[in-house]
Amino acid sequence: MSTTSTAKSGYLLLFRGNVWDRGLSPAQLQKVVSDWMTWFERLKAEGKCVGGHPLEDEGKVISGKQRAVADGPFAESKEAIGGYFYLTVADEKEAIEIAKQCPGLEYGSVVEVRPVADECSIKQRAQEYSTHELAGATA
Amino acid sequence: MLLFRGPHWDRGLSRQELQAAMDEVMAWFEGLNQHGKIKTGQPLGTQGRIISGTNGHLVVDGPFAESKEAVGGYLLVQADNLNEASEIARSAPMLKYGITVEVRPVLAECPIFQRHPDLAQRARERAVQVDQLWAAAAA
Repeated sequence: MSTTSTAKSGYLLLFRGNVWDRGLSPAQLQKVVSDWMTWFERLKAEGKCVGGHPLEDEGKVISGKQRAVADGPFAESKEAIGGYFYLTVADEKEAIEIAKQCPGLEYGSVVEVRPVADECSIKQRAQEYSTHELAGATA
Repeated sequence: MLLFRGPHWDRGLSRQELQAAMDEVMAWFEGLNQHGKIKTGQPLGTQGRIISGTNGHLVVDGPFAESKEAVGGYLLVQADNLNEASEIARSAPMLKYGITVEVRPVLAECPIFQRHPDLAQRARERAVQVDQLWAAAAA
């Protein structure tokens, strides 16, 4: 039996740009749509992609103390997130290698690779805060 | 899907303020969870990569640590419609510290595929064939 670690880490692939299909020929579209589905099916079959959804172009943005609700500018944005995959892979390198296989890349899609954290970084900072304060108090 | 933008809302808060904010956030999550509103969700690490270009030849470190627009975490909530999801987003206690919540409906199918249903159908048939090939290869 192998003694190497088989621990898997979670990574989110965020697909940015949701209008990259505009201007493609029917043949290009057929290929990219087909490649994308095949890619997703393969990653699922390999157990490397455990979830994912496309996101609707519409949506809301909520901000401020007044909790104002505005319509999102998602339909025509190159930065808007069009969908995501949840990967469980060995490390960041593997997540990046998978991201590089995204069939939308050659048409201008951008993939953001982000590690999923067990705990919120703000909670971690709050704990460090307390630790420093304790260290200060006992010094 | 709720995307929380602005991962550094804790900056500038005193220890007491931070503790109060954390208690509020925890209580908020717990309340949503007890009402069965949370399907999944996680904070994201502030490191990460941006992949772009044909075959993903451009790999750069993301500017997630200092960006107000960066996604700091996400929640996949169970809601009947966009209004209910927006109401859940409006109840997020982090809003008063300057974060923005983006509310996006998740879809069973990509809008790009929906714009080209005939192509998607053919791609789906091919993906099923690929799936069968993978299953056969695994057997």
